[in-house]
Amino acid sequence: MNDISEAFVSSLGLILFLDAELLEIILLSFRITFYAVLISSILGIPLGAFLASTHFKFRNTVVSILFGMMGLPPVVVGLFVYLLFSRSGSLGWMGLLYSPTVMIIAQVILILPIVCCLTFQIIESLHTRYHEFFRSYRIAKLKSVIAYIVDSRFELTTVVLAGIGRSISEVGAIIIVGGNIDHVTRVMTTAIALETSKGNLDLALGLGIILLTTAIVLNGFILFLRGKYLKTSGSTI
Amino acid sequence: MTSEDTQISINDLSFDIEGKTLLHNTNLSLNGDGITVFLGANGAGKTIFLKLLTGLLTPCSGSITFQGGSLSVKTCAFVSQEPVILRRTVLKNMLFVLEKITSEKSTLAKELLSLMGLDKKEHQNAITLSAGEKQRLCLARAIITNPEILLLDEPTANIEPNSTTLIEKYLIQKVRSSRKIFFVTHDINQARRLADEIVFIHTGRVIEHSSAENFFENPKTREARNYISGKIN
Repeated sequence: MNDISEAFVSSLGLILFLDAELLEIILLSFRITFYAVLISSILGIPLGAFLASTHFKFRNTVVSILFGMMGLPPVVVGLFVYLLFSRSGSLGWMGLLYSPTVMIIAQVILILPIVCCLTFQIIESLHTRYHEFFRSYRIAKLKSVIAYIVDSRFELTTVVLAGIGRSISEVGAIIIVGGNIDHVTRVMTTAIALETSKGNLDLALGLGIILLTTAIVLNGFILFLRGKYLKTSGSTI
Repeated sequence: MTSEDTQISINDLSFDIEGKTLLHNTNLSLNGDGITVFLGANGAGKTIFLKLLTGLLTPCSGSITFQGGSLSVKTCAFVSQEPVILRRTVLKNMLFVLEKITSEKSTLAKELLSLMGLDKKEHQNAITLSAGEKQRLCLARAIITNPEILLLDEPTANIEPNSTTLIEKYLIQKVRSSRKIFFVTHDINQARRLADEIVFIHTGRVIEHSSAENFFENPKTREARNYISGKIN
């Protein structure tokens, strides 16, 4: 118990005095999360909106596959990306293995189905209300997809939040493709795993506290934005 | 253009869903101008008929012709019973349905909003409007597309009386002279106020079609008589 309380106090010291190593790990975590969520949102939100508002022959199959991919095991994704980018892999010539870029790629594979499917669910209910209106006014497909996204922007913040949560807390895939290299690919989750196994609990706890705080602050911010929207619009979303 | 060309002809129109016929073989020749009211009890098939006219539903058989050609969605604007409001300002809702936004169209949008009593709310989020205001916005939004035919599916069913009055007044004074209106209602008094001609539908069949005056003074069928007297709702 004493070890834990000592580690806790020590970790607070690391946070308060902005330990350089800690800061580097945090910034890399945020950078990877930012790009992974950004790319996943740019691809996943329009794709989810398109799937929710369009009927084509294999739509249900595509949707089923995407929903199935929401539960992709991170280590399997990590292994797949590792094989793809390893020297003998088909994309090995790019030399991206053990770099932050390949960590972002692995995370996009994990987050994209989540963003896409959650967007699908949100916009499908909106589509039920709007599609007759869009059809009767002959609204072009692209314009209607944009309208769905714009009109569900506040619900979609939750989707982005889910993506951030998944990305920032992910460890299985990025530890395989990133290699947890100090000063290169070490992020909060991989560092926590490593430092815990080494018995360096103060750094592990410090990172854990920051990870938790980030999740709470982000959730709080999104809830604040939603609340503000509900207040001004009178919407019942 | 001959008077025949300006008529809307409905030939052998029918609509089935899952083996159930919701509109039986219908043949009608409707006036190309004025207000035609589809009257009938709940579930009679009025909305189905209107959606077939709009092109939102595809008939199982038959055809609809207008001005000698097929009736296309390009000539129609549809306003449903439940107002569909986009989550943006009132003015942006108006402009959304336009292919191209010009300064003339923006001015027209503001004029239409003014006629609908919404000029002071053009920058307000449309979701916050009352039910009646939303329906007035929907009507103004339909008019701005300059349709030849306006199809209104019980637009005043769930709204406050002052909005109903405003909409009826607007339709009679401003719209009736310039475009064809199809109006679905089960409110007999509203039909009396608005209709030039009546199409009475009962259990998926058009059983009476006549001028409004004839329909109310001398209904030919027992069902129509019962409906007018309030025995069928």
